[in-house]
Amino acid sequence: MSIIDAKAEPGRTSGFFPITILLLVIFPLLIMPLAAIYFFAASSGIKGFIETLRQPDVLFALRFSLLIAFATALINGVLGTYTAYVLAKYQFRGSKALSILVNLPVAIPTVVVGTSLLLLWGPIGILGGFLDPLGVRPMFAPAGVLLAHLFVTFPYMLGAVKPVLDELEKTYEEAAYTIGASKWQTFRYVLLPALRGGLFAGALLTFAHSLGEFGATVLVSGNLRLRTQTAPLYIFAQFEAGNIETANTVAAILATFSFLLFFLLLRFTQNDSQREQE
Amino acid sequence: MSITLTNISKRFGDHLVVHGINLEVQNGELFVLLGGSGSGKSTILRMIAGLTAPDSGRIELNGVDVTDRPAQKRNTGFVFQNYSIFRHMTVAENIEFGLRIRKAALAEKIQRRDELLDLVGLTGLGSRYSDQLSGGQRQRVALARALAYNPTVLLLDEPFGALDVKIRAQLRESLQEIQKKLNVTTILVTHDQEEAFELADRIGIIEKGTLIEVGDPEELYHKPKTEFVATFIGGGNVLVGRVKNDQIQLGPINLPFPKDAPVHEEGSPVRILIRPETILLRKNNFRLARDIKLSVPGQITERIFKGSLQRIRMEVESLQGFWPATSGYGKQLTRIETVQPNSPKDEQFLPGQSVWIGIQKYHVLEPTRLKVLICFDPKRTASASLEFGCQLARSARGPTTVLTVVEPDISMDEAKSRFELLQPEYFAQLPNLETKARQGNVSTEIILEAQEGHYEIVILGRQEKSPGRELGFTARQILTGINIPILLVEVSRPKIQRILICTAAGEPGKMDVLFGGRIARQIGAQVVVLHIPHPESSRAALRRIERHLNQAQDTLEALGVPTEYRIKEYTHLVEGITREAEDGDYDLVVIGASFQPHPHQLRWMDIASQIIQGTSRPVLVVPTGF
Repeated sequence: MSIIDAKAEPGRTSGFFPITILLLVIFPLLIMPLAAIYFFAASSGIKGFIETLRQPDVLFALRFSLLIAFATALINGVLGTYTAYVLAKYQFRGSKALSILVNLPVAIPTVVVGTSLLLLWGPIGILGGFLDPLGVRPMFAPAGVLLAHLFVTFPYMLGAVKPVLDELEKTYEEAAYTIGASKWQTFRYVLLPALRGGLFAGALLTFAHSLGEFGATVLVSGNLRLRTQTAPLYIFAQFEAGNIETANTVAAILATFSFLLFFLLLRFTQNDSQREQE
Repeated sequence: MSITLTNISKRFGDHLVVHGINLEVQNGELFVLLGGSGSGKSTILRMIAGLTAPDSGRIELNGVDVTDRPAQKRNTGFVFQNYSIFRHMTVAENIEFGLRIRKAALAEKIQRRDELLDLVGLTGLGSRYSDQLSGGQRQRVALARALAYNPTVLLLDEPFGALDVKIRAQLRESLQEIQKKLNVTTILVTHDQEEAFELADRIGIIEKGTLIEVGDPEELYHKPKTEFVATFIGGGNVLVGRVKNDQIQLGPINLPFPKDAPVHEEGSPVRILIRPETILLRKNNFRLARDIKLSVPGQITERIFKGSLQRIRMEVESLQGFWPATSGYGKQLTRIETVQPNSPKDEQFLPGQSVWIGIQKYHVLEPTRLKVLICFDPKRTASASLEFGCQLARSARGPTTVLTVVEPDISMDEAKSRFELLQPEYFAQLPNLETKARQGNVSTEIILEAQEGHYEIVILGRQEKSPGRELGFTARQILTGINIPILLVEVSRPKIQRILICTAAGEPGKMDVLFGGRIARQIGAQVVVLHIPHPESSRAALRRIERHLNQAQDTLEALGVPTEYRIKEYTHLVEGITREAEDGDYDLVVIGASFQPHPHQLRWMDIASQIIQGTSRPVLVVPTGF
């Protein structure tokens, strides 16, 4: 709602002071830090920027991050949708407990997630202990990073798809059955298109979160250059080593990427809700 | 035959939702299933469509058994109450969906879609999405979508339930037009009787999963068979009288049976239906008005203005039916409701006024099977009465109520837990069973229930270890006050096959024989009529007794009950009856007893009490003033 709309409503006409205060708070809190990234990135000049991007470490970290984010979005897209479908459609003993459980990853600190994954899959972990002699070592490897990201982002897909499924009438699929559609046809032509919005939003959210994941990744990856180092880990490592400009360049790219995703998401959800209002 | 259902039943958990439905729907017919919420009507529809599988029974569509086919292979058109329009598809895509699944050619799809858009009155709206349509338009889309692929049958589940009154009326009209035009066999499920009357070729009334009556709307309205249908459809005044000398006895009034009335046995209850619009009201008595069958005075208690009509409720003292009011247990007045035109010229009727009520028409309902009340109190009495009562009710297949009364200071949850504790086998195969709980003084509540429910027999548990009080206060009140037979059970019997009817001393009563015979006929038992004459009876008296017993035998045999009679001499009456009951190993002993205000009244109570005390067999006490 814009300021003009607010003016039209009685009792909300003089909003000067509250709006000023809000801006004064938000400016140093949100806007200035974001601006700082670009400010610093620009200060090193376009040449330094391109040079940084040429480094194999940087290229690997960015590529690896995008790959992991893509894989995470794909796998959790399927798993989350399936979970949402089962939870929305079937009533069974413990279904309530299960729906709380699958949302739990949002509440757990990511460092704790990393630790617990290490304790399970690590070389001396509960399962990892058996796998290690077989030569299977998921931790400190790309697979470990993927596992961590799947865990951390699991609830996002669910959160985007389940409300859409809950809103669909119980008879929605039955209508398709009586018309003659098989289970597969019903899924393909009736259910999936209805979930389109939720699927897209959920996938984008998952992708964005995976791209920025740090806490769990830093533990399970071992932060190995050119092997398991994601972009956020690279930024952290460069900062620690004192290469602030390099760190900042990658940070600027990551931030830009995230903004793009965010606006895409915003655009998409707005379009959806606009059509519903018509 | 487009739709044939044979013995369809469905159970959800412990709950029998659909019970042995048999139904045939003709080609092109619009059949309406009418029933309250939870009556099982939607489940029947879903079973026809294949969305729910029946536990037993067969479903045929167009002569093909589809019971084991999935919904996809039944070719039914189904319209849901909540539309279930596919929201990501346009109206046109929704309508084409069935054809798309059937891989129809593009030209055919377009042609059929345009036809249907036109048929349901949505031409030009094909490119809209469901969120751009009103509720009424959505339901039109749902109808078009269900008709697009020429379904074998059209099934509509409360299709207009979510719409407002005006739209509903328009849609009803469209539906009827479309249905007649396409001549597609249709079943519509609704709880709205107005809708049913307006649309239906035939209506099926469903209640608690049972199809109670099927008929065309006028037949069901004017000539229903059951009390349920009489009161469920339209406003119905149902009065309960009794057959006496082939007439309907309603308190002091006797009415003849109309020509088309179903056959009733002498002494059995008769239910008559008086529709509110067949009643005339006057301030003065109707004098020799030709079309008035009966006129009685009454008092207006309520008037409700309904636009062109007014609904008037009255209380009438003289139409009490045969259950006379007992002083002290609430004066039972008959309530009559009528609908009168509301023109300003007419007389004004206001609450408090005395009026004459003229009844132009009455309809006699089918006789019901034995209506049983079983009183159940686990604290005071053993479960033998419940066991025997359920067995009797099961054999009689009539409406049965199991009543428990909780004291005022105990929560009603107690009643619920009492029923839960009962062994389910008691209630097995009792589809007409109702469990009821009342709160208050046990005796008062039982008597009120017996009176209000028009039961034909009340089964009481026998209080153990209370010699001399075999006929307690409650039993005496029911016998003398409201004239209903009482059955007392101490020990249950495995089967009810042999009934001993004792006509005792004096002139054999008529009602006890008839009532015992009625029970015997309904449960398929044999009867022995026993008479123990007074030791000093003259030969003439004995001959008279024999003649009476002969008549009794003829009456019972005419009802189809195998009957014998016996005259046995005993010096002591009570001893004689109890000895006979033991020797013949009877399952039920019926004793007639006069409880009319009479010098011998006390003696009769004593005799009944002594007989009950003397035998452990179930004893039925029939008031002969009855």
